[in-house]
Amino acid sequence: MSYDIIISWLQATLRWSAPLLLVAVGEIFSERSGIINMGIEGIMLCGALCGIAASFYSESILVAVLATIVLGAVMGLAVAYLTVSRRTNQVVTGLMVNMLATGATNLLFAMMSETRSTRVGTFPIIFPQAMQRIPILGEIFFCQPISTWIAFILPFIAAVVLYKTKWGLNVRAVGDHPQAVATAGLSVIKIKYQAVICSGIFAALGGCVLTLGEVGYFASGGMTGGRGFIVMAAVVVGGWDPLRTAIACIIFGAADAAQLRLQGMGSVIPYQFLQMLPYLITVVALTGMVKSSHVPKTWGAAYDPDSH
Amino acid sequence: MKTEKKANITTIPFLGDIILSGSRTLIGIALGLLTSGILIALSNANPLVAYGAMIKGAFGDIYAFCNVLVRVSPLLLGGMGVAIGNKAGIWNTGIEGYMYLGAIGSGLVAIQDWGLPSALHILLAVIAGMAFAAAWGLIPGYLRAHRGVNEVTCTIMLNYVAIYLTNWLVSDAGFFAESGAFFPMSKIFQDSAQLPILLRGTSLHPGVFVGIIVCLIFFFLLKYTPFGFRTRMLGGNPNAARYSGVDIKKQIILVMVLGAMLGGLGGAIEVIGLRHRVYSDFVTGVGYECIAVALLAGGNPVGVIFAGFFFAILKVGGATMSIETGVSSSMTSIIMALCVLFVIGVGLTDNHRVKKKSNKADAVAVVKQKEE
Repeated sequence: MSYDIIISWLQATLRWSAPLLLVAVGEIFSERSGIINMGIEGIMLCGALCGIAASFYSESILVAVLATIVLGAVMGLAVAYLTVSRRTNQVVTGLMVNMLATGATNLLFAMMSETRSTRVGTFPIIFPQAMQRIPILGEIFFCQPISTWIAFILPFIAAVVLYKTKWGLNVRAVGDHPQAVATAGLSVIKIKYQAVICSGIFAALGGCVLTLGEVGYFASGGMTGGRGFIVMAAVVVGGWDPLRTAIACIIFGAADAAQLRLQGMGSVIPYQFLQMLPYLITVVALTGMVKSSHVPKTWGAAYDPDSH
Repeated sequence: MKTEKKANITTIPFLGDIILSGSRTLIGIALGLLTSGILIALSNANPLVAYGAMIKGAFGDIYAFCNVLVRVSPLLLGGMGVAIGNKAGIWNTGIEGYMYLGAIGSGLVAIQDWGLPSALHILLAVIAGMAFAAAWGLIPGYLRAHRGVNEVTCTIMLNYVAIYLTNWLVSDAGFFAESGAFFPMSKIFQDSAQLPILLRGTSLHPGVFVGIIVCLIFFFLLKYTPFGFRTRMLGGNPNAARYSGVDIKKQIILVMVLGAMLGGLGGAIEVIGLRHRVYSDFVTGVGYECIAVALLAGGNPVGVIFAGFFFAILKVGGATMSIETGVSSSMTSIIMALCVLFVIGVGLTDNHRVKKKSNKADAVAVVKQKEE
């Protein structure tokens, strides 16, 4: 492999990991509070379309990001209402949110035909041209859009919030010992709502970064390509820890980037087998690295305030 | 007051359960259709006209209804595959992958010109499809049972792998793909491997009857056999099942593989009955619709028949609705998802209330006993 290919692979790895990192950060908080938000795939898809549409109509990235945050919060609230208040099965809820999102984005995208032909504004690159031309460092790091930088700083912030702040402690306690939290006079339901809404917001932002980070267009039908589920696997592989999950996300991003490079090189392996790579790696990673000791104690179970 | 009434209904054995769960499902579906109607209105169409077009599209004439019968076949088989898993507390979300593998397996047999009698050729094709799908289902089944891998993530990842595998087979694999085709497709199936058409001028094949029979068979299997008892026990309380000597790991794998075989059968019937070739993406989305079918049915095999027909009507009618009112046919998957979300949203809390009610009643009874 030549120098150029390795550089462009590393650069693409960072770019493809960014959406995964954003989605993963939100999902960690949700799962730590005991709620598996399986709807992140669908929320991501909606965020991707929302980012494109808002950026197209308002011609402002800031508006697009704000609109995506609002959308993510609303979808997160819906998931929280169903799974926390109505105590529906979390898998069912998530899968149906995904189905709803696939239908809704296809429907809306068909109606917004004018956004198809135009490439909308994407996230800006903050570093000056001179820095981007520095060999290796500049080519890999400084020509990344601002969204990638934020996405890579975020897991560190998430780790601090999760382990060092009161709210992070509350979220972890709600997932492990909800009764103790209730006894301490805090509202378990409220904290779960906050965590799930947080996962909705970050999933939508992840989708937004997927479309506005680089490509600047939306593709109908499976734009996210199962990335939400890959993130869920990354969270399990990373043991519900922000930094370890981030490493898992980067590995999946690297696989994604690698299969795209290899396709371009015209290898002897049919390209469809390369496309399978990220999914196969996910299955293998799940097989090899599941450690039940890290699982939040009420993971996936409904919390009934009257049950004790 | 309302909850008290419902609690009273549930005191009637057997029938009360059916009335309660049935009414909940109907309320959920009604709410789903209502919300979808609002969405249709928002996209500049009259919801009543749209639903009218939908009914006309599904029941307008014999051809339309045959179309419903053709579309329902994979939903029944796949839905039943998911429903067995539901009974055992396992999420077999890989139906889409099993359908692709079933189509590949039966396709590999069906394109061969062996000069076999038709019945034998069809049988071999179906068996091959089910065997391929079973092998595919063994992967998540084994990983779930022995390694504790979450089956939802695992099966959905494998769905993508199956899609790309099919894609390769129909576009580049010399032994399977049609050479020089307009778009990727497999070689055409031999006449002897194609299912008979039951009604001239339509594409009605026997798949729907296979689907209904399979659902009824599983209704009895789950209710009256030791296999069914073990499956329900696994779903109800895995620990109790383990203590009473059920081999949980074996049961999990069995349930996953059975679901996979049904999904594979659905895929096989779809290609040998309707398409007569394997195409890439030919059942995309159907796997998820099957999950919705099983959920709407609450895992009940007879419910799967009703839910399958409901969704097939939506799908066939949705195409007509799209032509007549200009509402995109993506609306059908929105309607499906909303219906299921409302059914589960309405259902579970009621269930909970009833349970609490009966718990309270038990507590009162206990107190009374003690007083005596």
